[in-house]
Amino acid sequence: GIYLYGVLKRSVGEACTDLKREYDQCFNRWFAEKFLKGDRSGDPCSESFRTYQRCVHKAIKDKDIPIDGVEFMGPSKDKPET
Amino acid sequence: MKIWSTEHQFSYPWETVVKAAMRKYPNPMNPSVIGVDVLDRGLDSRGRLHSHRLLSTEWGLPSIVRAILGTNHTQTYVKEHSVVDPEEKKMELCSTNITLTNFISVDERLVYHPHPENPDVTVLTQEAIITVKGVSLSSYLESMMARRMSANARKDKNTADKWHLSRFLQRKKTILEQLNVL
Repeated sequence: GIYLYGVLKRSVGEACTDLKREYDQCFNRWFAEKFLKGDRSGDPCSESFRTYQRCVHKAIKDKDIPIDGVEFMGPSKDKPET
Repeated sequence: MKIWSTEHQFSYPWETVVKAAMRKYPNPMNPSVIGVDVLDRGLDSRGRLHSHRLLSTEWGLPSIVRAILGTNHTQTYVKEHSVVDPEEKKMELCSTNITLTNFISVDERLVYHPHPENPDVTVLTQEAIITVKGVSLSSYLESMMARRMSANARKDKNTADKWHLSRFLQRKKTILEQLNVL
């Protein structure tokens, strides 16, 4: 039962969970304090995001999770410009 | 195929609800989501934030279904695309399962926007299309999934109202409630 609470915080790659938390913390702060308040400066978390991404994409590949080519019924067709 | 939709109102401004929605996983009130990762994220030319996330979920299929599927592999992956438009004050979120797709598909769409007459109230509209492949199990499973969607939607409302704005005791109670369910 209680263990669920710990399990809930994980990343798909067990090794990525700490990196994920670090990135999430950075992102959540930017999202709440800058983005939603109309501050258009870019998000400052790109470095922690890249480190976290490398880990996650490796885990996804290792676990053979089919993340590509998914059609959504939704939202707008515009692609992000990153 | 079952189409299911609902609407909720939160007694909080849009910003508050959207912050909660972005952080809703991991969340002890929705035990079916056991992990979440950001796959890609960026701003578009209109200043909207796009996020692609991978959710690891436990659907909690009944054991009879697991037996028929011939697997204990009820961990399913869901891909989610959300768009937050801070000017229009709209958050749209679409998700679909990317595993067990030969068997079932659950496409869900959520939109959060301020109440047109009251900026302190946020409206959530939620719709889902559930398709189960195969004949005999279909209607039973579709109804079951639709019921789960309803239950999860109620949790979502609780989530934004209580979890993120939370108190420790609230959380503790929820976990204990889960213990009873488990």
